[in-house]
Amino acid sequence: MKRALFVVVLLSAVLGDSQVTYQRLLSADRDPKNWLTYSGRYSGWRYSTLNQITVANASHLAMQWAFQVGDLGQFETTPIVADGVLYGTGQSDRAFAIDARTGRPIWRYQRNLPDKLQPCCGMVNRGLAILGDRLFMATLDAHVIALDTRTGNLLWDVIAADYHKAYTFTVAPLALNNEIVVGVSGGEYGVRGFIDAYDAATGRRLWRFDTVPGPGEPGHDTWAGESWKVGGAPAWITGTYDPELNLLYWPTGNPAPSNYGGQRGGDNLYSNSMLALDPGTGELKWYFQFTPHDLYDYDATQIPVLIDADWEGRPRKLLVQANRNGFYYVLDRTDGKFLSAKAFGTVTWATGIDKDGKPIVNTSLKSSPEGTRVCPGALGLTNWYSPSYSPDTGLLYVATSNECDNFTSAPQPYRAGHDFLGSVYVPDPVERPTGALKALDAQTGAEKWSFPYFSNPNGGVLSTAGGVVFAGDSDGNFIVLDAKTGRDLWHVQLGAAIYSAAITYEVDGKQYVAIPAGSALLVFALQ
Amino acid sequence: MALLVHEPALGQKSASAVSGKAEALKEGESLFRSNCSPCHGLNAHGGGRGPDLTAGRWTHGSTDAEIFRTITQGVPGTEMPANGFEDSETWAIVAYLRSLQPPNHAVVAGDPGKGQQLFATSGGCLRCHMVNGNGGRLGPDLSRVGASRSVAYLTDSIRDPDKDLSTGMLDPNNHYGLPLVYDTVTVTRENGEMITGVEKNEDTFSIQLMTTNQELRFFLKKDLKDVAHERKSLMPAYSEDMLSKTELQNLIAYLIRLRGAASRNPKEAQ
Repeated sequence: MKRALFVVVLLSAVLGDSQVTYQRLLSADRDPKNWLTYSGRYSGWRYSTLNQITVANASHLAMQWAFQVGDLGQFETTPIVADGVLYGTGQSDRAFAIDARTGRPIWRYQRNLPDKLQPCCGMVNRGLAILGDRLFMATLDAHVIALDTRTGNLLWDVIAADYHKAYTFTVAPLALNNEIVVGVSGGEYGVRGFIDAYDAATGRRLWRFDTVPGPGEPGHDTWAGESWKVGGAPAWITGTYDPELNLLYWPTGNPAPSNYGGQRGGDNLYSNSMLALDPGTGELKWYFQFTPHDLYDYDATQIPVLIDADWEGRPRKLLVQANRNGFYYVLDRTDGKFLSAKAFGTVTWATGIDKDGKPIVNTSLKSSPEGTRVCPGALGLTNWYSPSYSPDTGLLYVATSNECDNFTSAPQPYRAGHDFLGSVYVPDPVERPTGALKALDAQTGAEKWSFPYFSNPNGGVLSTAGGVVFAGDSDGNFIVLDAKTGRDLWHVQLGAAIYSAAITYEVDGKQYVAIPAGSALLVFALQ
Repeated sequence: MALLVHEPALGQKSASAVSGKAEALKEGESLFRSNCSPCHGLNAHGGGRGPDLTAGRWTHGSTDAEIFRTITQGVPGTEMPANGFEDSETWAIVAYLRSLQPPNHAVVAGDPGKGQQLFATSGGCLRCHMVNGNGGRLGPDLSRVGASRSVAYLTDSIRDPDKDLSTGMLDPNNHYGLPLVYDTVTVTRENGEMITGVEKNEDTFSIQLMTTNQELRFFLKKDLKDVAHERKSLMPAYSEDMLSKTELQNLIAYLIRLRGAASRNPKEAQ
């Protein structure tokens, strides 16, 4: 007993410095050597003050190491880097820890998953959260688990929901003060969405916010009949947090079935919404619904970006989001007040957004079993892939898709654990889908420059104080652009579609940039 | 030792067990729309990628059990994937497909022998298309086109090759792994030289063509003045002046019988 105690004390002493405390997460913006949360900082910027790689020298980037995950499928992780160790996740709920300087693995974890899983869009996982000496992962079989940072050993494992009913997790959790927040996936299968918080120490569930209100709750009357029970509104992308306001911002996804509204009359709250929650209780402080009664799968699961700026002459706390429905929104994040919206590409489902933030829906588009052409298509003008905000340029960089789809629509009975789409969409056969990385004025959404992609993207964006933007396209190109002009500074073909956004970190005075592609995590630095 | 492949228990269950039930047909239709229609067309009449499933021609076996196996296991070497439906769902899909069958299978009129001759000689098809190892490289290999395309699709492809160039699940996100094929592209080099060909691949920075001379040419876009995509096929449209109705029938009678004989019946090496 004494000996065990001694070992514990010794370990604590050795690793005291490498604990990632909540205080460190709060000040992650001033700790650019590390990448401590999904978006790099609570405000969702995916921006780093590291400035070794610049417009002038980006052409001298060279690969430093690669790490092979050993699985196929989309590699969507955003790694965490803490004190020289890189922690990531791979397909089918793998996790790993790597020496961030050499790429040599320290440990690997592979979850033993059941055979019958129903993730809509691949056996993907978007990453870990870190707090203390623990990593947290939300799994495809709808558990939340904690792993030891040094060994990958499982510390606790709690069941959040029933995977037999197609509840799954793909999200990277968000670590707050002693708690771990996750949001569920399964909007294609008629789950009832939720956002959960768990005690980081024990795994005990602290609260759950049901994104589809039950009987007696506000918003319940926005669902016809029993449709709320299978209403979707998943919450599958990592939210952001304002410590001063103590508000957690978490966006939600499509109502189910996604392409047929006849079974779910009403606005279908809180689908396709931005939710502001009290992180201590899960209480809803305000909400803003971008796409009421959605018929086109316009999940609002894009990163909420928190910016403090002058708005019409006075300083204001803003929340901006380039939404999948094609509009760039600016909200006041203290109370959710709508400030402005502007289309940032081709939009036909709505002719504009009114003064209250409601879409002016194009009523000439009637859904039908044969199909109706609608822009943006079901994959959205943008999607889950992360944007980046640079305070140096005042621009928000967002990957966009110009695909329009023919939506077909038909009633569909719900069956637990089965897809629940209300028919399908098919890309417009006339126009080949393409994409672009766009730089938008963060306050107005006005386009400053656009870099064309041959194909529509799945990769996000990182910007840095070096004045550069890192991006990846669906044809496997990792690209560095001038943040001010969009000029191509350097690119390299990585051999597989890029399904994530880059991160950057520093070890021994050297700035590294990591990007997943195919089955490999590839890391670059100046030659 | 148990086989790892999923074999339906023959005789225990079949589409006929559920085919009379309206509910099962509805479920089968719903599942088909969600999962199969992107390739096989909304009403199973065939799309740009998957064959017509209403024609009564089943390349990979026509019994209920064989269709069940095709759905659950997919077809290796083709774009037909294995599907993870529950057995009852697969039977519902089979029942739905059976409900679409014409009572008498449509017979393709025409003389396949004459069609083959036309294909190889006066039609000029063999210059660009390969069949079982013989022919050109510019157009698609047609060795098993009869197994994967409907009569209507083949007719369109001959009379109006541009029509279906881009239909079907054209997904550059690689969810379905479908490249852009048979798009005509003309690139203009800095010196003004124009080169036309069929696009083999393209991305943000480069383009790869097979020229009309059936040579592979690769270009960096930064070295080009222009890249012009034409949403049309290099294949000529065979109007009735060029190809009579009878000739078309003969040609289709030949094409519809191309079922990949070479790949299914490999020869012993001599």
